[in-house]
Amino acid sequence: MLSIQHLNVEFSGKLAVRDTSFSVEPGESFGLVGESGSGKSTILRTVMGLNANWNGSISVDGLDVRKTPRKQLAKVVQMVFQDPYSSLHPRYVIGQQIAEPMKINGIANPERRTAELLELIGLGAKFQFRFPHELSGGQRQRVAIARALALNPKLLLLDEPTSALDVSIQAEILNLLNRLRKELGLTFVIVSHDLAVISYMCERLMVMRNAQPVETLTREQLRSGAIAEDYTKALIAAA
Amino acid sequence: MSALVEIENLRVAFRNDDGGYNDAVRGVSLTLGREKLGIVGESGSGKSLTGRALLGVLPPYARISVDTMAFDGIDLKSASPKLRRSLRGGRMGMILQDPKFSLNPVMTVGKQIVEAIRIGDRRISGSDARKKALGILEAVHIREPERVFSLYPHELSGGMGQRVMIGMMVVREPDLLIADEPTSALDVTVRTQVLSILDELVTRRGMGLIFISHDLNLVSKFCDRVIVMYAGRIVESIEASRLSEATHPYTRGLLSCLPQIDGSLEPLPVLNRDASWAGAA
Repeated sequence: MLSIQHLNVEFSGKLAVRDTSFSVEPGESFGLVGESGSGKSTILRTVMGLNANWNGSISVDGLDVRKTPRKQLAKVVQMVFQDPYSSLHPRYVIGQQIAEPMKINGIANPERRTAELLELIGLGAKFQFRFPHELSGGQRQRVAIARALALNPKLLLLDEPTSALDVSIQAEILNLLNRLRKELGLTFVIVSHDLAVISYMCERLMVMRNAQPVETLTREQLRSGAIAEDYTKALIAAA
Repeated sequence: MSALVEIENLRVAFRNDDGGYNDAVRGVSLTLGREKLGIVGESGSGKSLTGRALLGVLPPYARISVDTMAFDGIDLKSASPKLRRSLRGGRMGMILQDPKFSLNPVMTVGKQIVEAIRIGDRRISGSDARKKALGILEAVHIREPERVFSLYPHELSGGMGQRVMIGMMVVREPDLLIADEPTSALDVTVRTQVLSILDELVTRRGMGLIFISHDLNLVSKFCDRVIVMYAGRIVESIEASRLSEATHPYTRGLLSCLPQIDGSLEPLPVLNRDASWAGAA
Protein backbone atom coordinates (compact mmCIF):
# COMPACT_ATOMS: atom_id res chain seq x y z
CA MET A 1 0.00 0.00 0.00
CA LEU A 2 2.84 2.34 0.90
CA SER A 3 6.41 1.84 -0.15
CA ILE A 4 9.21 4.22 0.77
CA GLN A 5 12.72 3.60 -0.54
CA HIS A 6 15.88 5.49 0.44
CA LEU A 7 14.02 8.63 1.42
CA ASN A 8 16.05 11.74 2.26
CA VAL A 9 14.29 14.94 3.25
CA GLU A 10 16.25 18.16 3.57
CA PHE A 11 15.39 21.37 5.39
CA SER A 12 17.77 24.24 4.63
CA GLY A 13 20.84 22.08 4.34
CA LYS A 14 19.99 19.77 7.24
CA LEU A 15 18.69 16.27 6.70
CA ALA A 16 15.44 15.71 8.60
CA VAL A 17 15.07 12.17 7.25
CA ARG A 18 18.08 10.15 6.17
CA ASP A 19 18.06 7.05 3.96
CA THR A 20 14.82 5.65 5.33
CA SER A 21 13.01 2.72 3.74
CA PHE A 22 9.93 0.79 4.79
CA SER A 23 6.76 -0.56 3.30
CA VAL A 24 3.26 -1.09 4.63
CA GLU A 25 0.99 -3.89 3.41
CA PRO A 26 -2.68 -3.31 2.51
CA GLY A 27 -4.86 -3.48 5.62
CA GLU A 28 -1.90 -3.20 7.95
CA SER A 29 -1.46 -0.67 10.72
CA PHE A 30 2.13 0.57 10.95
CA GLY A 31 3.54 2.73 13.74
CA LEU A 32 6.34 5.28 13.75
CA VAL A 33 7.82 6.06 17.19
CA GLY A 34 10.63 8.31 18.31
CA GLU A 35 11.49 11.57 19.99
CA SER A 36 10.52 14.95 18.53
CA GLY A 37 12.74 15.95 15.67
CA SER A 38 13.43 12.32 14.75
CA GLY A 39 11.67 12.79 11.42
CA LYS A 40 8.55 10.71 11.89
CA SER A 41 6.04 13.48 11.10
CA THR A 42 8.26 14.69 8.27
CA ILE A 43 7.85 11.30 6.56
CA LEU A 44 4.06 11.58 6.67
CA ARG A 45 4.11 15.16 5.41
CA THR A 46 6.43 14.18 2.56
CA VAL A 47 4.08 11.39 1.49
CA MET A 48 1.28 13.98 1.36
CA GLY A 49 3.40 16.27 -0.82
CA LEU A 50 3.83 18.91 1.88
CA ASN A 51 7.63 18.94 1.61
CA ALA A 52 9.38 19.82 -1.60
CA ASN A 53 13.01 19.01 -0.97
CA TRP A 54 13.30 15.25 -0.98
CA ASN A 55 14.78 12.39 -2.95
CA GLY A 56 14.28 8.66 -2.99
CA SER A 57 11.03 7.05 -4.02
CA ILE A 58 7.58 6.98 -2.47
CA SER A 59 4.69 5.04 -3.92
CA VAL A 60 1.17 4.81 -2.58
CA ASP A 61 -1.01 1.99 -3.89
CA GLY A 62 1.32 1.65 -6.87
CA LEU A 63 1.24 5.38 -7.71
CA ASP A 64 4.54 7.24 -7.77
CA VAL A 65 3.92 10.24 -5.51
CA ARG A 66 6.17 12.50 -7.58
CA LYS A 67 4.38 11.82 -10.86
CA THR A 68 0.80 11.55 -9.67
CA PRO A 69 -1.38 14.67 -9.78
CA ARG A 70 -2.42 15.86 -6.32
CA LYS A 71 -6.12 15.36 -6.95
CA GLN A 72 -5.62 11.74 -7.87
CA LEU A 73 -3.33 11.15 -4.90
CA ALA A 74 -5.84 12.72 -2.53
CA LYS A 75 -8.33 9.97 -3.39
CA VAL A 76 -5.90 7.32 -2.18
CA VAL A 77 -4.19 8.85 0.83
CA GLN A 78 -5.37 11.34 3.46
CA MET A 79 -3.88 12.69 6.66
CA VAL A 80 -5.22 13.48 10.13
CA PHE A 81 -3.18 16.04 12.04
CA GLN A 82 -2.22 16.23 15.68
CA ASP A 83 -4.04 19.32 16.79
CA PRO A 84 -7.77 19.36 16.08
CA TYR A 85 -7.84 22.97 17.29
CA SER A 86 -5.78 24.20 14.36
CA SER A 87 -6.56 21.70 11.60
CA LEU A 88 -10.16 22.81 11.10
CA HIS A 89 -11.18 26.09 9.47
CA PRO A 90 -12.60 28.28 12.26
CA ARG A 91 -15.19 29.99 10.06
CA TYR A 92 -16.50 27.00 8.14
CA VAL A 93 -19.29 24.96 9.64
CA ILE A 94 -18.50 21.27 10.10
CA GLY A 95 -20.57 20.19 7.09
CA GLN A 96 -18.68 22.57 4.80
CA GLN A 97 -15.28 21.28 5.94
CA ILE A 98 -16.23 17.69 5.25
CA ALA A 99 -17.94 18.45 1.93
CA GLU A 100 -15.10 20.61 0.59
CA PRO A 101 -12.83 17.79 -0.66
CA MET A 102 -15.83 16.14 -2.30
CA LYS A 103 -16.79 19.34 -4.09
CA ILE A 104 -13.24 19.86 -5.32
CA ASN A 105 -13.23 16.36 -6.71
CA GLY A 106 -16.68 16.63 -8.28
CA ILE A 107 -18.27 13.87 -6.25
CA ALA A 108 -22.05 13.73 -6.64
CA ASN A 109 -24.31 14.53 -3.71
CA PRO A 110 -21.74 15.70 -1.14
CA GLU A 111 -24.47 16.75 1.31
CA ARG A 112 -25.81 13.25 1.70
CA ARG A 113 -22.36 11.76 2.03
CA THR A 114 -21.43 14.39 4.66
CA ALA A 115 -24.38 13.31 6.75
CA GLU A 116 -23.38 9.66 6.32
CA LEU A 117 -19.81 10.40 7.36
CA LEU A 118 -20.95 12.25 10.48
CA GLU A 119 -23.04 9.21 11.43
CA LEU A 120 -20.10 6.93 10.72
CA ILE A 121 -17.77 8.74 13.08
CA GLY A 122 -20.38 8.82 15.80
CA LEU A 123 -21.41 12.48 15.91
CA GLY A 124 -24.66 12.46 13.92
CA ALA A 125 -25.82 14.59 11.00
CA LYS A 126 -27.11 17.39 13.23
CA PHE A 127 -23.52 18.43 13.85
CA GLN A 128 -23.04 19.66 10.27
CA PHE A 129 -24.29 23.16 11.06
CA ARG A 130 -21.98 23.75 14.01
CA PHE A 131 -18.71 25.65 14.04
CA PRO A 132 -15.48 24.06 15.32
CA HIS A 133 -15.43 26.29 18.41
CA GLU A 134 -18.72 24.76 19.51
CA LEU A 135 -17.12 21.30 19.66
CA SER A 136 -14.81 19.68 22.20
CA GLY A 137 -11.33 18.50 21.23
CA GLY A 138 -12.44 14.90 20.84
CA GLN A 139 -15.40 15.88 18.68
CA ARG A 140 -13.14 18.01 16.50
CA GLN A 141 -10.74 15.14 16.00
CA ARG A 142 -13.71 13.03 14.88
CA VAL A 143 -14.57 15.73 12.33
CA ALA A 144 -10.97 15.74 11.07
CA ILE A 145 -11.23 11.96 10.64
CA ALA A 146 -14.55 12.31 8.78
CA ARG A 147 -12.99 14.86 6.43
CA ALA A 148 -10.04 12.55 5.79
CA LEU A 149 -12.48 9.76 4.90
CA ALA A 150 -14.59 11.93 2.57
CA LEU A 151 -12.81 10.80 -0.61
CA ASN A 152 -12.79 7.13 0.37
CA PRO A 153 -9.01 6.85 0.71
CA LYS A 154 -7.29 3.51 1.19
CA LEU A 155 -4.45 4.81 3.33
CA LEU A 156 -4.80 7.09 6.35
CA LEU A 157 -1.76 8.87 7.81
CA LEU A 158 -2.34 9.75 11.46
CA ASP A 159 0.07 12.22 13.05
CA GLU A 160 -0.24 11.95 16.86
CA PRO A 161 -4.03 11.66 16.52
CA THR A 162 -4.71 11.60 20.26
CA SER A 163 -1.86 13.40 21.97
CA ALA A 164 -3.82 16.65 22.29
CA LEU A 165 -6.72 14.84 23.96
CA ASP A 166 -7.60 13.62 27.44
CA VAL A 167 -6.94 9.95 28.15
CA SER A 168 -10.65 9.18 28.39
CA ILE A 169 -11.22 10.78 24.97
CA GLN A 170 -8.11 9.09 23.61
CA ALA A 171 -9.72 5.72 24.31
CA GLU A 172 -12.82 6.73 22.36
CA ILE A 173 -10.82 7.94 19.34
CA LEU A 174 -8.59 4.84 19.29
CA ASN A 175 -11.66 2.60 19.42
CA LEU A 176 -13.23 4.61 16.59
CA LEU A 177 -10.09 4.29 14.45
CA ASN A 178 -9.93 0.54 14.98
CA ARG A 179 -13.59 0.15 14.08
CA LEU A 180 -13.17 2.23 10.91
CA ARG A 181 -10.11 0.27 9.86
CA LYS A 182 -12.05 -2.97 10.14
CA GLU A 183 -15.25 -1.69 8.52
CA LEU A 184 -13.64 0.20 5.64
CA GLY A 185 -10.58 -2.00 5.14
CA LEU A 186 -8.20 0.93 5.68
CA THR A 187 -4.43 0.92 6.01
CA PHE A 188 -2.96 3.10 8.79
CA VAL A 189 0.39 4.72 9.38
CA ILE A 190 0.35 6.16 12.90
CA VAL A 191 2.95 8.51 14.35
CA SER A 192 3.08 8.65 18.12
CA HIS A 193 5.53 9.15 20.93
CA ASP A 194 3.44 6.88 23.13
CA LEU A 195 4.59 3.28 22.81
CA ALA A 196 1.50 2.00 24.59
CA VAL A 197 -0.73 3.58 21.94
CA ILE A 198 1.41 2.13 19.13
CA SER A 199 1.45 -1.30 20.74
CA TYR A 200 -2.32 -1.19 21.00
CA MET A 201 -2.96 0.11 17.48
CA CYS A 202 -0.21 -1.30 15.23
CA GLU A 203 0.92 -4.71 14.03
CA ARG A 204 4.39 -3.43 13.16
CA LEU A 205 6.38 -0.38 14.16
CA MET A 206 9.56 1.42 13.30
CA VAL A 207 11.59 3.26 15.93
CA MET A 208 13.34 6.42 14.70
CA ARG A 209 16.08 8.57 16.12
CA ASN A 210 18.14 11.44 14.68
CA ALA A 211 16.37 11.29 11.30
CA GLN A 212 17.14 7.59 10.87
CA PRO A 213 15.35 4.32 11.55
CA VAL A 214 16.71 2.46 14.58
CA GLU A 215 14.84 -0.80 14.13
CA THR A 216 11.57 -2.30 12.93
CA LEU A 217 9.62 -4.56 15.26
CA THR A 218 6.44 -6.56 15.17
CA ARG A 219 3.95 -6.08 17.96
CA GLU A 220 4.87 -9.55 19.28
CA GLN A 221 8.55 -8.63 19.42
CA LEU A 222 7.73 -5.39 21.26
CA ARG A 223 5.58 -7.23 23.76
CA SER A 224 7.89 -10.17 24.35
CA GLY A 225 10.90 -7.89 24.71
CA ALA A 226 12.74 -9.35 21.69
CA ILE A 227 14.43 -6.01 21.08
CA ALA A 228 17.90 -5.54 19.65
CA GLU A 229 18.60 -1.84 20.13
CA ASP A 230 19.37 -0.15 23.45
CA TYR A 231 17.55 3.00 22.39
CA THR A 232 14.28 1.10 22.00
CA LYS A 233 14.80 -0.48 25.41
CA ALA A 234 15.33 2.97 26.91
CA LEU A 235 12.11 4.20 25.29
CA ILE A 236 10.16 1.30 26.77
CA ALA A 237 11.70 1.84 30.18
CA ALA A 238 10.77 5.52 30.14
CA ALA A 239 7.20 4.92 28.95
CA MET B 1 5.75 19.23 58.06
CA SER B 2 4.27 22.73 58.21
CA ALA B 3 1.76 23.58 55.54
CA LEU B 4 3.12 25.78 52.79
CA VAL B 5 -0.25 26.26 51.19
CA GLU B 6 -3.69 26.00 52.70
CA ILE B 7 -6.87 26.33 50.71
CA GLU B 8 -10.30 25.93 52.25
CA ASN B 9 -13.48 25.80 50.19
CA LEU B 10 -12.31 27.53 47.02
CA ARG B 11 -14.99 28.37 44.48
CA VAL B 12 -14.48 29.96 41.07
CA ALA B 13 -17.39 30.91 38.87
CA PHE B 14 -17.80 32.51 35.46
CA ARG B 15 -20.79 34.47 34.23
CA ASN B 16 -22.92 32.70 31.64
CA ASP B 17 -25.12 34.13 28.91
CA ASP B 18 -28.21 34.30 31.12
CA GLY B 19 -26.57 36.56 33.65
CA GLY B 20 -26.14 33.78 36.20
CA TYR B 21 -22.90 32.14 37.21
CA ASN B 22 -21.51 28.73 36.28
CA ASP B 23 -19.31 27.20 38.94
CA ALA B 24 -16.04 25.91 37.51
CA VAL B 25 -14.39 25.11 40.84
CA ARG B 26 -16.78 24.05 43.57
CA GLY B 27 -15.45 23.91 47.09
CA VAL B 28 -11.87 22.69 46.72
CA SER B 29 -9.85 22.34 49.92
CA LEU B 30 -6.24 21.24 50.01
CA THR B 31 -3.04 21.63 51.94
CA LEU B 32 0.45 21.37 50.56
CA GLY B 33 3.66 20.85 52.46
CA ARG B 34 7.11 20.77 50.96
CA GLU B 35 6.16 17.88 48.73
CA LYS B 36 5.00 16.96 45.26
CA LEU B 37 1.25 17.09 44.94
CA GLY B 38 -0.34 15.92 41.71
CA ILE B 39 -3.71 17.18 40.52
CA VAL B 40 -5.26 15.05 37.79
CA GLY B 41 -8.51 15.28 35.90
CA GLU B 42 -9.83 15.89 32.42
CA SER B 43 -9.95 19.24 30.65
CA GLY B 44 -12.54 21.41 32.31
CA SER B 45 -12.29 19.71 35.69
CA GLY B 46 -10.99 22.91 37.28
CA LYS B 47 -7.45 21.79 37.99
CA SER B 48 -5.74 24.68 36.20
CA LEU B 49 -8.16 27.21 37.67
CA THR B 50 -7.29 26.02 41.15
CA GLY B 51 -3.60 26.64 40.45
CA ARG B 52 -4.30 30.04 38.94
CA ALA B 53 -6.51 31.11 41.82
CA LEU B 54 -3.71 30.31 44.22
CA LEU B 55 -1.29 32.40 42.20
CA GLY B 56 -3.84 35.19 41.79
CA VAL B 57 -3.81 35.33 38.01
CA LEU B 58 -7.45 34.63 37.22
CA PRO B 59 -9.13 37.11 34.88
CA PRO B 60 -10.99 39.96 36.63
CA TYR B 61 -14.37 38.67 35.46
CA ALA B 62 -13.97 35.42 37.39
CA ARG B 63 -15.88 35.35 40.66
CA ILE B 64 -13.74 33.84 43.39
CA SER B 65 -14.76 32.97 46.91
CA VAL B 66 -12.71 31.12 49.47
CA ASP B 67 -12.82 30.59 53.22
CA THR B 68 -9.07 30.36 53.73
CA MET B 69 -6.21 30.76 51.31
CA ALA B 70 -2.76 31.06 52.81
CA PHE B 71 0.77 30.74 51.51
CA ASP B 72 3.57 30.26 54.04
CA GLY B 73 1.63 32.11 56.71
CA ILE B 74 0.57 34.96 54.43
CA ASP B 75 -3.19 35.38 54.15
CA LEU B 76 -3.77 35.61 50.43
CA LYS B 77 -7.45 36.31 50.85
CA SER B 78 -6.85 39.76 52.31
CA ALA B 79 -3.49 40.41 50.63
CA SER B 80 -3.26 43.52 48.48
CA PRO B 81 -2.71 43.10 44.74
CA LYS B 82 0.70 44.67 45.28
CA LEU B 83 1.73 42.08 47.84
CA ARG B 84 0.46 39.24 45.72
CA ARG B 85 2.35 40.61 42.77
CA SER B 86 5.54 40.72 44.78
CA LEU B 87 5.10 37.06 45.68
CA ARG B 88 4.73 35.96 42.08
CA GLY B 89 7.91 35.09 40.27
CA GLY B 90 10.15 35.21 43.32
CA ARG B 91 8.31 33.03 45.80
CA MET B 92 5.59 31.44 43.70
CA GLY B 93 6.23 30.39 40.14
CA MET B 94 4.13 28.84 37.45
CA ILE B 95 5.11 26.78 34.45
CA LEU B 96 2.52 26.84 31.71
CA GLN B 97 1.65 24.13 29.29
CA ASP B 98 2.42 25.70 25.97
CA PRO B 99 5.75 27.47 25.43
CA LYS B 100 4.46 28.81 22.09
CA PHE B 101 2.07 31.14 23.86
CA SER B 102 3.94 31.87 27.05
CA LEU B 103 7.29 33.11 25.79
CA ASN B 104 7.71 36.57 24.32
CA PRO B 105 7.95 35.98 20.56
CA VAL B 106 10.01 39.10 19.80
CA MET B 107 12.71 38.65 22.42
CA THR B 108 15.52 36.11 22.45
CA VAL B 109 15.14 33.47 25.11
CA GLY B 110 18.40 34.46 26.73
CA LYS B 111 17.17 38.03 27.19
CA GLN B 112 13.96 36.75 28.71
CA ILE B 113 15.78 34.66 31.28
CA VAL B 114 18.13 37.54 32.08
CA GLU B 115 15.10 39.77 32.55
CA ALA B 116 13.63 37.30 35.04
CA ILE B 117 16.92 37.20 36.93
CA ARG B 118 17.27 40.97 37.05
CA ILE B 119 13.73 41.53 38.28
CA GLY B 120 14.64 39.33 41.23
CA ASP B 121 18.05 40.85 41.82
CA ARG B 122 18.33 44.41 40.59
CA ARG B 123 21.98 44.75 41.54
CA ILE B 124 23.31 41.79 39.58
CA SER B 125 25.69 42.82 36.79
CA GLY B 126 24.86 42.15 33.16
CA SER B 127 27.59 39.61 32.71
CA ASP B 128 26.73 37.76 35.93
CA ALA B 129 23.09 37.59 34.91
CA ARG B 130 24.14 36.22 31.55
CA LYS B 131 26.33 33.62 33.22
CA LYS B 132 23.51 32.61 35.48
CA ALA B 133 21.12 32.33 32.53
CA LEU B 134 23.55 30.13 30.63
CA GLY B 135 23.96 28.02 33.75
CA ILE B 136 20.24 27.46 34.07
CA LEU B 137 19.94 26.53 30.38
CA GLU B 138 22.59 23.92 30.97
CA ALA B 139 20.79 22.75 34.09
CA VAL B 140 17.64 22.08 32.08
CA HIS B 141 19.71 19.97 29.66
CA ILE B 142 19.93 22.34 26.70
CA ARG B 143 22.87 20.99 24.74
CA GLU B 144 24.32 24.23 23.36
CA PRO B 145 23.33 26.95 25.83
CA GLU B 146 25.42 29.64 24.08
CA ARG B 147 23.60 29.09 20.79
CA VAL B 148 20.13 28.72 22.30
CA PHE B 149 20.65 31.88 24.37
CA SER B 150 20.43 34.04 21.26
CA LEU B 151 17.52 32.22 19.59
CA TYR B 152 13.95 33.45 19.36
CA PRO B 153 11.13 31.25 20.68
CA HIS B 154 9.93 30.30 17.17
CA GLU B 155 13.36 28.83 16.45
CA LEU B 156 13.03 26.34 19.30
CA SER B 157 11.33 22.97 19.22
CA GLY B 158 8.42 22.44 21.61
CA GLY B 159 10.56 20.48 24.03
CA MET B 160 13.31 23.08 24.05
CA GLY B 161 10.80 25.90 24.57
CA GLN B 162 9.33 24.04 27.50
CA ARG B 163 12.74 23.58 29.09
CA VAL B 164 13.54 27.27 28.58
CA MET B 165 10.35 28.18 30.39
CA ILE B 166 11.08 25.79 33.22
CA GLY B 167 14.56 27.29 33.47
CA MET B 168 13.11 30.79 33.62
CA MET B 169 10.85 29.86 36.53
CA VAL B 170 13.36 27.75 38.38
CA VAL B 171 16.17 30.31 38.19
CA ARG B 172 14.46 32.39 40.88
CA GLU B 173 14.23 29.32 43.11
CA PRO B 174 10.64 29.86 44.25
CA ASP B 175 9.18 28.21 47.37
CA LEU B 176 6.12 27.09 45.49
CA LEU B 177 5.99 26.00 41.89
CA ILE B 178 2.75 25.33 40.10
CA ALA B 179 3.45 23.28 37.01
CA ASP B 180 0.50 23.10 34.66
CA GLU B 181 1.07 20.16 32.29
CA PRO B 182 4.78 20.96 32.17
CA THR B 183 5.82 17.85 30.31
CA SER B 184 2.97 17.05 27.96
CA ALA B 185 4.86 18.59 25.03
CA LEU B 186 8.03 16.65 25.80
CA ASP B 187 9.37 13.29 24.67
CA VAL B 188 9.60 10.55 27.21
CA THR B 189 13.38 10.80 27.36
CA VAL B 190 13.47 14.57 27.88
CA ARG B 191 10.52 14.30 30.23
CA THR B 192 12.53 12.15 32.60
CA GLN B 193 15.28 14.80 32.70
CA VAL B 194 12.85 17.66 33.33
CA LEU B 195 11.15 15.73 36.12
CA SER B 196 14.47 15.04 37.78
CA ILE B 197 15.19 18.81 37.77
CA LEU B 198 11.87 19.48 39.50
CA ASP B 199 12.42 16.60 41.88
CA GLU B 200 15.81 17.96 42.86
CA LEU B 201 14.29 21.35 43.67
CA VAL B 202 11.76 19.75 45.96
CA THR B 203 14.20 17.56 47.83
CA ARG B 204 17.21 19.90 47.88
CA ARG B 205 15.52 23.24 48.43
CA GLY B 206 12.34 22.10 50.12
CA MET B 207 10.14 23.59 47.43
CA GLY B 208 6.45 22.75 47.27
CA LEU B 209 5.28 21.54 43.89
CA ILE B 210 1.77 21.37 42.51
CA PHE B 211 1.91 19.21 39.43
CA ILE B 212 -1.16 19.51 37.23
CA SER B 213 -1.47 16.78 34.66
CA HIS B 214 -3.87 14.44 32.94
CA ASP B 215 -1.27 11.67 32.78
CA LEU B 216 -2.11 9.30 35.61
CA ASN B 217 0.86 7.00 35.09
CA LEU B 218 3.28 9.87 35.24
CA VAL B 219 1.69 11.41 38.33
CA SER B 220 1.63 8.10 40.18
CA LYS B 221 5.34 7.61 39.51
CA PHE B 222 6.47 11.16 40.17
CA CYS B 223 4.31 12.70 42.90
CA ASP B 224 3.90 11.96 46.60
CA ARG B 225 0.18 12.54 46.76
CA VAL B 226 -2.53 12.77 44.11
CA ILE B 227 -5.78 14.69 44.05
CA VAL B 228 -8.33 13.62 41.44
CA MET B 229 -10.71 16.33 40.26
CA TYR B 230 -13.97 15.95 38.41
CA ALA B 231 -16.38 18.75 37.48
CA GLY B 232 -14.76 21.26 39.83
CA ARG B 233 -14.62 19.03 42.89
CA ILE B 234 -12.06 16.75 44.48
CA VAL B 235 -13.43 13.24 44.15
CA GLU B 236 -10.47 11.39 45.56
CA SER B 237 -7.23 12.12 47.36
CA ILE B 238 -4.74 9.30 47.60
CA GLU B 239 -1.06 8.53 48.07
CA ALA B 240 0.55 8.35 44.65
CA SER B 241 2.06 4.94 45.21
CA ARG B 242 -1.38 3.55 45.94
CA LEU B 243 -3.13 5.13 42.93
CA SER B 244 -3.73 1.67 41.46
CA GLU B 245 -5.86 0.93 44.52
CA ALA B 246 -8.05 4.00 43.93
CA THR B 247 -11.69 3.34 44.69
CA HIS B 248 -13.64 6.14 43.03
CA PRO B 249 -15.23 4.93 39.77
CA TYR B 250 -13.98 8.01 37.93
CA THR B 251 -10.36 7.37 38.92
CA ARG B 252 -10.78 3.71 38.07
CA GLY B 253 -12.25 4.65 34.69
CA LEU B 254 -9.33 6.95 33.91
CA LEU B 255 -6.88 4.20 34.82
CA SER B 256 -8.55 1.51 32.77
CA CYS B 257 -8.93 3.51 29.56
CA LEU B 258 -5.16 3.78 29.12
CA PRO B 259 -3.69 1.35 26.60
CA GLN B 260 -0.75 -0.71 27.88
CA ILE B 261 2.25 -1.92 25.93
CA ASP B 262 1.39 -5.51 26.81
CA GLY B 263 -2.34 -4.90 27.26
CA SER B 264 -5.36 -6.49 25.62
CA LEU B 265 -6.27 -5.64 22.02
CA GLU B 266 -9.99 -5.58 22.75
CA PRO B 267 -11.71 -2.17 22.42
CA LEU B 268 -10.60 0.08 25.28
CA PRO B 269 -13.14 0.67 28.02
CA VAL B 270 -14.52 4.19 27.74
CA LEU B 271 -15.68 6.35 30.59
CA ASN B 272 -19.40 6.28 31.28
CA ARG B 273 -19.88 9.43 33.26
CA ASP B 274 -22.20 9.06 36.20
CA ALA B 275 -24.22 12.14 37.13
CA SER B 276 -23.66 11.40 40.82
CA TRP B 277 -19.87 11.95 40.47
CA ALA B 278 -20.42 15.66 40.02
CA GLY B 279 -22.28 15.67 43.33
CA ALA B 280 -24.22 18.51 44.83
CA ALA B 281 -22.85 22.00 44.46
